[in-house]
Amino acid sequence: MARQIQFAKKAPEAKELRRRAGAWLKELRACAGLSQIQLAERLGLKYYTFISQVENGFGRVPTESMEAWARALAIEPSAFARRLLSFYDPELHRLLFEVKE
Amino acid sequence: MTVIAFQPRMLQLDGPWRTGELNAMVETLMPEATRPGGLGWDVGLTEIGDPQFYLLGPPQDECLLCISRIGCRYVLEDGAGQVLFEHYRLSLLVERAKAALQKRKAQVVARAALVWCALRETVEERLDAVVLDGEELLAHCVPQLAALA
Repeated sequence: MARQIQFAKKAPEAKELRRRAGAWLKELRACAGLSQIQLAERLGLKYYTFISQVENGFGRVPTESMEAWARALAIEPSAFARRLLSFYDPELHRLLFEVKE
Repeated sequence: MTVIAFQPRMLQLDGPWRTGELNAMVETLMPEATRPGGLGWDVGLTEIGDPQFYLLGPPQDECLLCISRIGCRYVLEDGAGQVLFEHYRLSLLVERAKAALQKRKAQVVARAALVWCALRETVEERLDAVVLDGEELLAHCVPQLAALA
């Protein structure tokens, strides 16, 4: 069956994906043995509250700081970005990494 | 006589949002939320129990602004984690949040106006071309039709 083209993710779906991304990031942080405060320090943030915002599924890791997050969480940056893209923009992720000719 | 400027007594708060705090944030920021497709809000806690207030906006209910209470200090951040303002008085911070929201709204309106103008320009150009073609066709066909009649 042909896939329907989606121009925008519906809000509940996007929300759920962000929540799952947050849970994944929380897991990574726990594996790295860091608290939210320690991660914020490694990222050079003044407050640790943004970490919580992202982990609670209300915010996203900005593209420009993905590499810093990856290094702070001891994960390979491109794998980290790819996994985050699967949450934040699943359609683009599918086109880039899943569609085979 | 020497006047000593005392620092205002700062109340150390912890735990979730108090009703008064929530009311202050919701009453100031929520007039926007009553419109269809407008803003929404939610609350959460950090790992160590500091409360957060998330102001959510379209299109995907994403955090536009976040207010957190850390000890006796309130912190206002945008959706990308940039600290916009911090103060021990919530009322002042909420006013800043409202101003940031209005600024954002103005930017959205300006962008929409720009898109509208570009679209109108394109449509007008294409319409002009169609009208000119039509006029040429008419000028060419009318004498022939007149001759036939």
